[in-house]
Parts: sequence; structure tokens; C-alpha cells
Amino acid sequence: MAGAHVSITVNGKSYEREVEPRLLLVHFLREELGLTGTHIGCDTSQCGACTILLDDIAVKSCTMFAVQADGRSLTTVEGLAQGGQLHPVQEGFWEEHGLQCGYCTPGMIMSVVGLLQANASPSEQEIRHAIHGNLCRCTGYQHIVNAVQYAANKMAEGAKQPIGAD
Amino acid sequence: MIPSAFEYHSPTSVEDALGLLGRFGDDAKLLAGGHSLIPLMKLRLAAPEHLIDLGRVQGLSYIRDEGGAIAIGAMTTHSAVAASELLRSRVAVLAEAAASIGDVQVRNRGTIGGSLAHADPGADLPGVMLALNAELVARGASGTRTIAAADFFTDLLSTALEPNEVLTEIRIPVLPANTGSTYLKFANQASGYAIVGIAAVVTVSGATVADARVGVSGVGETASRASGTEQALRGQPANADAVKRAAQQAADGIEPLGDIHASAEYRSHLVRVFAERALNTALGRAQGRG
Amino acid sequence: MQLTGTYTFKAPRDAVWQAMLDPENIRRCMPGCEEFKTTAEDQYEAVMKAGVGSIKGTFQGKIQLSERQPPSSYRMGVEGGGKPGRVKGSGVLTLTDQGGTTLVAYDGDAQVAGLIASVGQRLLGITARKLIEQFFKTMEKQIPATSA
Repeated sequence: MAGAHVSITVNGKSYEREVEPRLLLVHFLREELGLTGTHIGCDTSQCGACTILLDDIAVKSCTMFAVQADGRSLTTVEGLAQGGQLHPVQEGFWEEHGLQCGYCTPGMIMSVVGLLQANASPSEQEIRHAIHGNLCRCTGYQHIVNAVQYAANKMAEGAKQPIGAD
Repeated sequence: MIPSAFEYHSPTSVEDALGLLGRFGDDAKLLAGGHSLIPLMKLRLAAPEHLIDLGRVQGLSYIRDEGGAIAIGAMTTHSAVAASELLRSRVAVLAEAAASIGDVQVRNRGTIGGSLAHADPGADLPGVMLALNAELVARGASGTRTIAAADFFTDLLSTALEPNEVLTEIRIPVLPANTGSTYLKFANQASGYAIVGIAAVVTVSGATVADARVGVSGVGETASRASGTEQALRGQPANADAVKRAAQQAADGIEPLGDIHASAEYRSHLVRVFAERALNTALGRAQGRG
Repeated sequence: MQLTGTYTFKAPRDAVWQAMLDPENIRRCMPGCEEFKTTAEDQYEAVMKAGVGSIKGTFQGKIQLSERQPPSSYRMGVEGGGKPGRVKGSGVLTLTDQGGTTLVAYDGDAQVAGLIASVGQRLLGITARKLIEQFFKTMEKQIPATSA
């Protein structure tokens, strides 16, 4: 079958590739671009380990073809830290012990980043609702909820600081 | 899991999509949000040779108040339906059902039209469409036609859509005054699919139930109406006792599926229990009790 | 994957038995049958392109009938493959006389493995039952109307 030309922006960088139409977006990220932070868990649209942001919306990259993302802008877990500084959500997972084995973590973090972009101060219920599509077998979720609350507080503090304070 | 190879087409208009459907016929499959079709393709239970992606077709994603009806574009995502103030305030049953589908990521990609055209027996929306007497608008090479929800779901995974038609719009007739509605489901915990899903729409007139419509998803091979319950409730006093009695007939006439998730007997039992609960909520809303 | 179900034929048992074991009828009633040949007695090879809704595929395989107990039961084994993978299974069909009508019950087991077993089974089971029902429905039409 004929290949398809795609132009996809990932973490602010534009990539042009010839791909097979059946190439899943998660394989494009991992195998074409070497961005292995996005994990493949269940491969059946249930576990959320492959979650990325597609134009700021959380989606499961195992349930999309790369060709569907042509012309779109993606963010993966690799795109969060800036200048060696962890994103507040990453920092929250670190500080609040939001992970043990770490397998679900990149997808979990991307869902949370998606949540906090839409809702800066979510309730515990809203946090649990937002990570409903991300399965964690280690933590029992409580520490993840704590991590999200940490991140929300941190981001609220950052927003309060006068411009140029850091 | 890698799907079978296919040729990818991304038309930018419904006309072009129809042209491609006409050209490739049975070998082609329309791709909407992909959250039913892509998992099947990965399992190779579906292996279309041509995939026609509707993702770049303009003008199929909207929710509009058109006076007598609310019109929803077929490519509107479940997230957008769930978040719509218009639907939440006027057609709670639909907004609630959309909010109960899968999880956040699934709702961000999955579409109302894709779900209805796929007609999965475990999907939430078919029963909602039946309870709302919705109309489904299909465009084909020879024009546009409107299909009543009652005629749309013909069989397991099958609809009244012709192979060369595209579902473009869902129309929800305005509900009469003093109407309350809700969607309640018993979901499979892993997939979120309905083991039993009840869409209840109740209209009261004073202290009497003027009309009741109950759509049942997840139970049989296709969604259906619990017509026995509807008839038993119409004209009855608008109270919990009448609902309790009527709900006993909610599984009548439905041939329930039995599988590893729930036996046929258990599904029938759940239909009665959830019909009672959903009808009570809808009735309360119709009476202005939230 | 367990596959069980029943179908009631509005015909006497002998007629149903005769129809169900006639190769020409099997060919005609198999949903989407594209090729069918008899390779030995009670042994057939077939290609079918069949499905329900979005679930569709081409399957080729061998069918083996055995354990004939006229007119009440026989075993049907299926072995083959298609895009979703290889399939092997067998089941017993039991014909019960109900005074003019005949209840055909099937009870079989198909081996499916991997993700398709855990994730696909929800739809695979009902799709398979649907195709079996189509087979019986068409089969019923092959039986000449009788005065039963």
C-alpha cells in the first residue's frame, strides 16, 4: 500500500515522514521519532499509558493512526520539562510519591496536564474523574491525587508571582 | 497490535467522502473518531482495504438549537456533547450518557455519529436515541434522507444506513414542558461498555404521568424500547409506587445477551432495577425536584 | 470460547437431519460462501467471506462431520484461519423432535487465544452466534414444506 506523507509537530519541533497508513501514532512517536516516554500498555484503548496531548486534548495514541495527526501539534511527556526544570506535574509526582514502577506515569501525567489546562483547581473528585482512563497497578491512586493537588497548588503560586520574578 | 494494511483517504467534504464510498463500495469503511473501529482493526476483526477518514471534513461538528429540534453534527465528540450547556439543560439524558462513555481520552476522540453508525450492542447512545425519538440524517449520492431512531438500529452492529451513505446529523426533537430525563448504566468496569444502560424520559401533567419513554442499551443485540413499562406508566399517578410496578416489565420482550460479564438472567434483573431508578430520577426532574 | 445456542426448525426431525448433512445445503447456507468442495466423506473445505457490521473477514478452513447418530446428533469440527488468526473448534449438534418441529441445539468450544480472547470476545461471541443463526435460517428454507 502506498505510503503517506505526514508533517507532525511534536513538542514544538516539526517532523516530516513517509509512513504506512496503518502505523499507529504511538509507534510513530516511539519508533520513528525515538520518543519512548510514551508507553504501550494494554494496546486495547483501556489503560491510558499511551496518553499524549493532541492540540492540548488528552488522547490515547494507540487508538489513532499517525496519518490522522498530520498537520497537528502533539505534546508528549518529553515535552514537559523546560530548561532542565521539571513541569509542576512531574515535580508533584516526584514529591508526593505518585509512582512506583512508573509504567503508567507518562500517560497519567499527560492526562493530568490536560486536566489542569482546562481546570486549574480541580476537586479531588474532578481529579479522579480525569484519570479514570489511566490505570495504575501500584499506587492505589491516592498518591497520584496528592501529586495532582501539589501541582495545582504549585501552578497557582507560579501564576500569582509577578512577571519576571524568576 | 498492527492492523492489516489499508489505503488511507482523507476527504475534506461530504461529497468527496461519498465519491470515495461509491468508488470502493464494500471494501471501504468510514473512520470517524475511530474508538470503535480502530480497536477492531487492531484485532483484525475488521480489515477494510480503504479507510475514509472523516476527520478533515469541515462542518460536521456542531450543536445547534434550531427551534423545534437540537441538531448535532455527526462528528461532534462525546466530550463536546457532555459539556454542552444546551444539552445539559434541555436533554440531560443525552449529556449524561455521553459523559458516561469510556473515559476522558475516549470521549475526546469518539463521536456521536461514529458510535451510532457502529451500533455496538454495548454502546450507550442507541438506547438514548430511541427514548428521545431522535432522527438521524444520512446523505447519499442521490440526496439526503431522515431516518427515525426506531428504524435505524436494525440488528447486531447493523443500521439502516446504506453502504454508500454518510450519517451527517442527529436531530433531537424538543422535549415537552414538565419533562425530566436521565441516563443510568451498569458498566463493565474495564471497558466502560454498558452491561445495562437505561435512558428514561418522563413527562408529567399535574399529578399524572403523561408520557414515559425508556430506551435500553447493552442488553440485547440491539438497543430497544421497554414498551411494556412505558405503557404501564402512562396515565398513572406520578409517584414511586407506579414506577416500581411499571419497571417490573422493563425486560419484557427483550432477548438478553449472556456472556462472561453477565448472564442473561442477571441482565434482565438489572434492567428492572435500573429502569426503576432511572424513571424515579427522570420523574423527579419532571416535577422540578432536581 | 464457549458457543451454545438453539434454533427451532418448523420441520420434522428427519427432514432437518437430511437437510443439515447435505453438502449442497451446507454450501448454500454458509454465510458468504465463496468456495466449497468435498474432500472426503463428511469432510469439506470452504472459503467464506462473512461478517456482521464492521466485523468482517475472509476465512478458509476445513469442516469435518463425525459421530453421526441419525437422526439425533453429530459433531462438527472446524479448523482454519483468517486475518484475525487461526481458529480450531468443535461442537455437538443435537436434534430433538418436538412433535412436528425440531429443536437444534449446538454446544461447542472454539479455541481463541491472546488479546482477541480477552478483549475481542465480547463481540466475537455474539457475531459467531449471529452467523450460526443465519446458517440455520437459510437451512430452514431449504427444507421443502411438509404437512407436519
